[in-house]
Amino acid sequence: MKKRKFSPGMCVVYLILIFWALTTIYPILWVILNSFKDKKKIIANSFALPIGDLFSMDNYKTAFDRLNIFTAYKNSIIVSCCVALVVILLAGMASYALVRYNLKTKKLLNTLVVAAMMFPVFATIIPVFRMEFSWGIVNTDKVSLSLISLILPQIAGNLAFAMVVLTGYIRSLPIELEESAYLEGCNPMQIFFKIVVPLTKPSFATVGIFSFLWSYNDLFSQTFFLRFKDQWAITRLLMEISSREGTDYGLMAAVVTLIIVPLLVVYVCLQKYIIKGMTAGAVKG
Amino acid sequence: MKKKVVAVLLVGAMAGTMLAGCGGDSKAADAGDDTKKEDTADTSDDSDEGSAEGKVTLNVTTTFAGTESNVDKYQETIENWQKETGNKINDSSASADEAMKARVITDFETGAEPDVMFYFNGNDSNPFVEADKVVSIDEIREKYPDYASNMNDDLIPASPVDGVKYAVPFYGYWEGMYVNKKVCEDAGVEIPGPDTTWEQFMETCQKIKDAGYTPIAASLIKEPHYWFEYSIFNHDTPATHVAVPEKVDDKVGKAWAEGIADIKDVYEKGFFTENTNTCEADEAFQGFLQDKAAFYVDGSWKMGGIRDNAENIDNFTVTFVPGQNERKTTDIISGLSSGWYISKKAWDDPEKQKAAVDLVEYFINTETVSDFAGTATTSLKDGAQIDESKLNSLEKDALTMLKSVTATSGACQDLCTEDQRAPIFTNMPQIVEGQMEINDAIQQVIDAMEE
Amino acid sequence: MNNTSNIYKNKKPAIFFLLPAFLFLILYLYYPFIQNIFNSFMKIKGLATPAKGFNDPVYKNYTRLFTDPNMRIALKNTLIMIIVTIVGQVGIAIIIALLVDNIKRGAKFFRIVYFFPIVISATALGLLFNLIFLYDKGMINQLLEFLGMTNLTDWKDEAHAIMTMMIPVTWQYVGFYFIILLTGLNNISDELYESASIDGATRFQRVRFISIPLLHNVICTCCVLAVTGALKVFDLPWMMFPNGMPYGKTWLTGTYMYYYAFVASDADYSSTIAIVIVVLGIILSKVVNVIFKEKDY
Repeated sequence: MKKRKFSPGMCVVYLILIFWALTTIYPILWVILNSFKDKKKIIANSFALPIGDLFSMDNYKTAFDRLNIFTAYKNSIIVSCCVALVVILLAGMASYALVRYNLKTKKLLNTLVVAAMMFPVFATIIPVFRMEFSWGIVNTDKVSLSLISLILPQIAGNLAFAMVVLTGYIRSLPIELEESAYLEGCNPMQIFFKIVVPLTKPSFATVGIFSFLWSYNDLFSQTFFLRFKDQWAITRLLMEISSREGTDYGLMAAVVTLIIVPLLVVYVCLQKYIIKGMTAGAVKG
Repeated sequence: MKKKVVAVLLVGAMAGTMLAGCGGDSKAADAGDDTKKEDTADTSDDSDEGSAEGKVTLNVTTTFAGTESNVDKYQETIENWQKETGNKINDSSASADEAMKARVITDFETGAEPDVMFYFNGNDSNPFVEADKVVSIDEIREKYPDYASNMNDDLIPASPVDGVKYAVPFYGYWEGMYVNKKVCEDAGVEIPGPDTTWEQFMETCQKIKDAGYTPIAASLIKEPHYWFEYSIFNHDTPATHVAVPEKVDDKVGKAWAEGIADIKDVYEKGFFTENTNTCEADEAFQGFLQDKAAFYVDGSWKMGGIRDNAENIDNFTVTFVPGQNERKTTDIISGLSSGWYISKKAWDDPEKQKAAVDLVEYFINTETVSDFAGTATTSLKDGAQIDESKLNSLEKDALTMLKSVTATSGACQDLCTEDQRAPIFTNMPQIVEGQMEINDAIQQVIDAMEE
Repeated sequence: MNNTSNIYKNKKPAIFFLLPAFLFLILYLYYPFIQNIFNSFMKIKGLATPAKGFNDPVYKNYTRLFTDPNMRIALKNTLIMIIVTIVGQVGIAIIIALLVDNIKRGAKFFRIVYFFPIVISATALGLLFNLIFLYDKGMINQLLEFLGMTNLTDWKDEAHAIMTMMIPVTWQYVGFYFIILLTGLNNISDELYESASIDGATRFQRVRFISIPLLHNVICTCCVLAVTGALKVFDLPWMMFPNGMPYGKTWLTGTYMYYYAFVASDADYSSTIAIVIVVLGIILSKVVNVIFKEKDY
């Protein structure tokens, strides 16, 4: 594309984008700034800069002293990565079949998927807990089993969303590419992995990001399935900041900061896949 | 969403002078004892390894989590116990929010319950008491006669289900009125004391309001609990307070209606925080801390909150909620809302039984209870032993207040479950605004309890 | 259908593709939810407590739905929320996604910062917005004071509550739809744009005649997600407006269900509301699909 000068239209575009960016950056900045404030002074001065008297590292000290942060990071990342990977794979396969095969039950299956997306966690968690208890994988002091007991329901919980999104993307794929691959002798399995997956890589990255995020932030299930300290995931720690004595806003801001850092790292790493999935070469087909 | 302010329970009358029995010389000995105990713990650790006694692993759940000041003490105590006995503890403690409560109930339902538990002894305990999943104190005493022998049995709360005592109390709470001295001074009013009557209190509030301050910091939408309790207490007596109405127009029903009408009156006079119907509990509390409001009624657990968040602790004191009618100002609400349980599962397990009993006893010995309780209520026979030299000015004031208590009563709201009292508690803003009739709200509570 | 190619005539492999995902769904979602349906006919107090027999009459909870004034408020507010999410969340997301897709400098920066609101948990966001809308010394009231307003505004009173609740929810999820739409835009081949450029199409024409039509399916997906999301959202609204405050005017179907599950300990009625949410979700997502099918490109 040819180089063009900054037109007035472009200025408006940037103004709009920068305005929205300010609304999204400010809250994160607010949380981070407040995490460096003396907890006694936060509510009265929540919108001031942490300089001079206000500045304090105490919140981080408390966070690191009280909470076993590194084990929790490790557990969180194991759980959320597993969830994201399995969701991508299973939802990808199922969405592909739902879009391409003209099944009689297609409508019913699509409805079931939308329905599954609506089930609230607290309506399903207790039967799930009973079921997993009968398998002997919850309430044990084995870290790996406890993590699995959390991973499995989280996979199911994110599958429906992933399928709704992925069917939308796969439906937009031109079928010609698959047909030419078929003529070259590929079976549906090969077509899926060699044509569909590479072409929809950005979509898979998107779904992966959100599955990771929701698994990571899902406090409610973590309370049920990860009970002993060495099993805790990072978000579980966030719950430990309020008591009848009142909420410790400073500790909260510090913990939220600690929680979002890995999320942002994961996002920044994965978002480059969102940029371009379809290479020029693939389209020629 | 998270904290349900008043822990659920049922308590009998409590001796107000319970805390008075702390002598000066016993503490020095205590402190010495503590260090000694730790020393022996370290040495016995090595020798224990060779002992033939089987080591067990106990699953323990408590509400010692979050930022409450006793979390550290709790951690330290279980560390010490593990060192001394060589046993292991799997600790699944969590802040007592809705998710945690649902988890505990599910655990008992599925057979995944802990061996030892520190949990509420009121209505929250009903499901597992009904299912016969915990051992009663009497049953434990048949085999271990000294179990909880340092406790005054009359003060141990019984289960609302069957009147049997299951949980050994640890420490409880009292409710009082915290005062911001500076606001009172600026408004030129005297700090209410043991002799202040309700009428005088209302006059004081008016003066504070005229001086441009908020008289009473409170969030009626989030925490109407304390005002509900004391307003009703003001229309009955310590002997009759712990009761729920059966009819709107019976004696209890009338006391409730009159009490709630008082809250409405205070609201209409404009004595509560300006946005009391929409503000967060923390928001109201902040106004009190920042010298904008004079009074704040809350439980003894707020002592730590004031200590940690106030610029200057000496600016705050605590006193009685002014009384009227038959209630003396010095009659207070107090109780023991949680206790130590041993589950039937652990009791029936010959390997775990002794360890479980041992762990509970480790917590409920007089020194440990005193250490955890501070100025809070306990059920100790001899009262808690407090080292006054370590107390801050607010804690000293609390102790002074507690020494002049004339009678105590449990909280009547603890006779209903949270859902049963919801018609009044959730609708408090509608009630004070006149959008809902007081008697209708009480009737709804009665209906919910009959269900 | 028009596009069933020869490859997909043999339907046996479909089972292989579908089975693993649906096994998960059946075991972890459908089977528990069927229990939930049973629960709606039983007498159950708290979550996880055993049922105390059937309701009397069995369908009691369902008749209760129709007479419950709070349910009506919840449905009304949720309807507003659906409109706000579709217009606000998806609308804003479409605009900024198209804008970001058409700039060269800074695209990466915007892609990252627009994602920020989604990573912060609802607990923390609730706290943040409570402080922004705080009555005394809140950010907005401080700002208004600075601009010369003398009276403080209570943003959580009856007149402002619905707005104060919707703004944060809308704002939080714009980034979510932004990412989904941007992904859709990136699935569109550059060559299409290039050939359009060669034909002399302006930037606006390229957006109008290539981007938007090809985004059709993705926009449809977004609307389904927006509708279902509005029906079940509860965390952020609950943090800011617990118990339908003020005066029971801010109930949403999601918060109302949460209230009965955890505060009012009426698990059977909560299960019934969950069923209403699921049924409404299915119906409304069908409606969305029908609306979008009509303009098939």
